[in-house]
Amino acid sequence: MLQLSPLLSLRMTILSTALGTVFYLLQAVSGESGYAQNGDVEDAETDDCSWYSQLSFSCYSQLEVDGPLHSLTCAFDNPHINSTNLNFEICGSLLGVNCLNLNKLQNIYFIKTKTFSLIGDSTICVKLGGKNLTCQQVNVVKIVKPEAPFDIKVIYREEANDFVVTFDTSHLKKMYVKQLMHDIAYRQEKDKKDWMHVNLSNTRLTLLQRKLQPDAMYEIKVRSIPYSEYFEGFWSEWSPSSRFRTPAVNRAGEMNPVLLIISIVSFISVVLLVILACVLWEKRIKPIIWPTLPDHKKTLEQLCKKPKKNLNVSFNPENFSDCQIHEVDGIQSRDEVEGFLQNTLPPQLEESEQQGLGGDVHGPNQPSRIAAITPETFRGDSSLRCVAGNVSACATPLLPSSRSPDCREGGKNEPPVYQGLLLSPGTTNSTLPPPFPLQSEVLTLNPIAQAQHILTSLGPNQEEAYVTMSSFYRNQ
Amino acid sequence: MFHVSFRYIFGIPPLILALLPVTSSDCDIKGKEGKEFEHVLMISFNELDKMIEVDSNCVNNESNFFKRHSCGDSKEAAFLNRAARKLNQFLKMNMSEDFELHLSRISEGTLKLLSCPSKEEKNVKEQKKNDPCFLKTLLQKIKTCWNKILRGNKEHKVW
Repeated sequence: MLQLSPLLSLRMTILSTALGTVFYLLQAVSGESGYAQNGDVEDAETDDCSWYSQLSFSCYSQLEVDGPLHSLTCAFDNPHINSTNLNFEICGSLLGVNCLNLNKLQNIYFIKTKTFSLIGDSTICVKLGGKNLTCQQVNVVKIVKPEAPFDIKVIYREEANDFVVTFDTSHLKKMYVKQLMHDIAYRQEKDKKDWMHVNLSNTRLTLLQRKLQPDAMYEIKVRSIPYSEYFEGFWSEWSPSSRFRTPAVNRAGEMNPVLLIISIVSFISVVLLVILACVLWEKRIKPIIWPTLPDHKKTLEQLCKKPKKNLNVSFNPENFSDCQIHEVDGIQSRDEVEGFLQNTLPPQLEESEQQGLGGDVHGPNQPSRIAAITPETFRGDSSLRCVAGNVSACATPLLPSSRSPDCREGGKNEPPVYQGLLLSPGTTNSTLPPPFPLQSEVLTLNPIAQAQHILTSLGPNQEEAYVTMSSFYRNQ
Repeated sequence: MFHVSFRYIFGIPPLILALLPVTSSDCDIKGKEGKEFEHVLMISFNELDKMIEVDSNCVNNESNFFKRHSCGDSKEAAFLNRAARKLNQFLKMNMSEDFELHLSRISEGTLKLLSCPSKEEKNVKEQKKNDPCFLKTLLQKIKTCWNKILRGNKEHKVW
């Protein structure tokens, strides 16, 4: 055995060496046989490469494009290539079959099938006859091209001043590619400006009117792309364009004419009210809202206003030069007359009712007397000629009538203002009080109230000469 | 010395090759993120669930297959591999074309995601035909096993 092993190893070594040499020679021979000696090898390789490069193609898939059927569409990148005998074949990730051939329609190759497993990669090859010219490994779910959206509607909302854009897509009802990203593009038609783009995941968009040109025609369109973590692909075709017109500025800013008129009239009315309020504030409004408390001083001043022009109140005897003045006996008469005069004032008349009427009152039937003389009564022939004891001789100079007053007449023509001294026919032998200048306003008395209560403070001799107010009132 | 070297040269490598299947790892599970399961397989599960009409007693039917194979820990891939191959036996039930397509999609899709060796095909026994109860149960267990794999993968990512 020891003698045989060295021999065996030697033989193995020789054998391996020989085999190695043979393989080397074979490779060398095979390498040289395919080459042209003139250097045309490089040209042949270039032609093959350029031709192969023209066979570049691209494909896209559409899932559930026709019910449950999916589609695969392929086309050469070079549209001018002569594809007469060229075919496309997809193998792998198919259900129930190994490979499928695409159908040729002019320069496009497509197939509709349900057998895409949608899991794993597939191989798409360009075949010439039975030979694969070029192949690409693709995943059908990564080259999805959605269907184009449709039915774009644009609705103008006047109350919100915006446009609501809605559209529809068939992918809302599909099982696999349901999540999409939509691209809405719009622009002004006449200007042909660049498109404005808005991306959204739902099928409703609101465009604000203030961001659009007024009274302009707009064009709008939509496209979609898969937007999920599993399905990917390309943009769909653009939807058919839709058009809408934005309202003009006048219409947008124009108010309702009725509302405008009402607002103007209301404004003018408010302005007029404000002006009237300012003007009439002091005289009319303030006294009503904030009545002033009566000021006795002011009231008295108003009462003691400057007399009328015709009223000449004076203690200067010269002013009464044209009047016949009969002197009164002594102070007693003066005091009596003064007291009588005080009783004749309107606020004092009531007092006189309460004062010393008792002494001079001779009964309820005693006529009341009043004596007042104003300078007016001395005009004309009227004069007071009242002599004590001769009542009939007394005149009633105070009557405004021009005729000479007659005491007996009893004052048939009484003036509206009782300025006169009236005598009752039965009162004789009584001295009448001398005339005293008084204000005419003072003598506007209520004859009814005074007829029974006003009595002079004259003495008993003068009782006969008192004026009967009741008779005076009756005569009126 | 030379005869010793030949033993080691020509004896050991074949031994290694013979023992290699025993020491090999489980199937390589792809799609653990759940994209294929959520967007493709679940759709077929739902469609098949609508198409298969079974009695209410079907839930309690425990076949021998489920007694021998279960989606236990570290055995999920093996179970899915066997269950997916079992589904192919129902393709000859003469159901509708859509039924067969969804069934094929679950079966072949699962096998493609598992990438298991094809050696175990010989051990699959032929199931009784026209047993919709077994089919419904099988589909339910495949779906449950997938959920277990995906859930375990998410927990692993959290850690």
